[in-house]
Amino acid sequence: MTGSYIGKPSGGKLLRLSLEWEQGIVRGISIRGDFFAHPEDGFDEAEAALAGAPVGHLEQTFARELASRGVTLFGLSPEDVGVAVASILASSNGAS
Amino acid sequence: MDAFRYLETSEHSAAFNMGLDEAILESVATGVEPPTLRLYAWKPYAVSIGYFQGIEDEVDLGRCATLGIDVVRRLTGGGAVFHAQELTYSLVAPDSHPLVAGTILDSYRSICSGVINGLEVMGIHAEFVPLNDVCANGRKLSGNAQTRKRGCVLQHGTIILGLDVDTMFTILKVPNEKLKGKLMQDVRSRVSSVSDMLGRSVGYMEAVLAFERGFSEALGGLGSRSDPSQTEMSRAMELATERFASASWTYKR
Repeated sequence: MTGSYIGKPSGGKLLRLSLEWEQGIVRGISIRGDFFAHPEDGFDEAEAALAGAPVGHLEQTFARELASRGVTLFGLSPEDVGVAVASILASSNGAS
Repeated sequence: MDAFRYLETSEHSAAFNMGLDEAILESVATGVEPPTLRLYAWKPYAVSIGYFQGIEDEVDLGRCATLGIDVVRRLTGGGAVFHAQELTYSLVAPDSHPLVAGTILDSYRSICSGVINGLEVMGIHAEFVPLNDVCANGRKLSGNAQTRKRGCVLQHGTIILGLDVDTMFTILKVPNEKLKGKLMQDVRSRVSSVSDMLGRSVGYMEAVLAFERGFSEALGGLGSRSDPSQTEMSRAMELATERFASASWTYKR
């Protein structure tokens, strides 16, 4: 299944998130927006590491993947990603 | 503090401008060149998008092609910027340099003091607004973005000399077309320009004179105005072609 989100979960910067998942497992995710992440390639790696993760725990998984790479975020948080993913799942029918 | 090298490179294409910022980062990182301040502009006008933005989310690519406006993805995060009547700077220094020591917020504040000083030289009293803006009378005059790579900080930023909201909104997409009018009004109330604030037209060369003074105060002195090395120019062209003008980079997100 696929879904996308556009919004400002914590009232700050605009977040765009596209998600593809199957049987509760992330197949692909794209997190886009005018936020900052240092280092940038650490963010890219943490995002890529979400493929294969359970879709219901993405906030925690993402926080862990960022932390393990020492990534600092400005204008985005793992909680924001959790809100966006929850919104996509809630609006999809039969998410498994 | 180490003396800063000072480059003024005038107008270049978007891909070359981003390539030269990275080439300077490489030459400072390897110790070949000292910490460096560069002032520059964009020809043709350009849109740059933040590292994490989706190109097709943000930019009307067809419209840019029609208008002859360059499009480039930056190395730095942040939002989409229409580079038209403006002065742009980039500053590269090793992480260990006193100017950029401390937190990321501290380093934004330190570097932006050069922008604030330059505006003061022009007669505009401005202040730093975290994380990365410089505003006067509550209206943004300068946006800034930084990345840290190879043991160096690269920060670049714009000083808006003239604002063209109409063109900006024909090339930048908005999340909701129905709200476009309101968003344009928001930009007009939140963003200004040096020319608007001074009530006269201020061009690039006048701004260069003010901002080289402003940055000189903030950086504890600047070397004399010079050009990038031949190695940096060649590397910038290589990076422009191989990275910044490539589809794989532009469409990365």
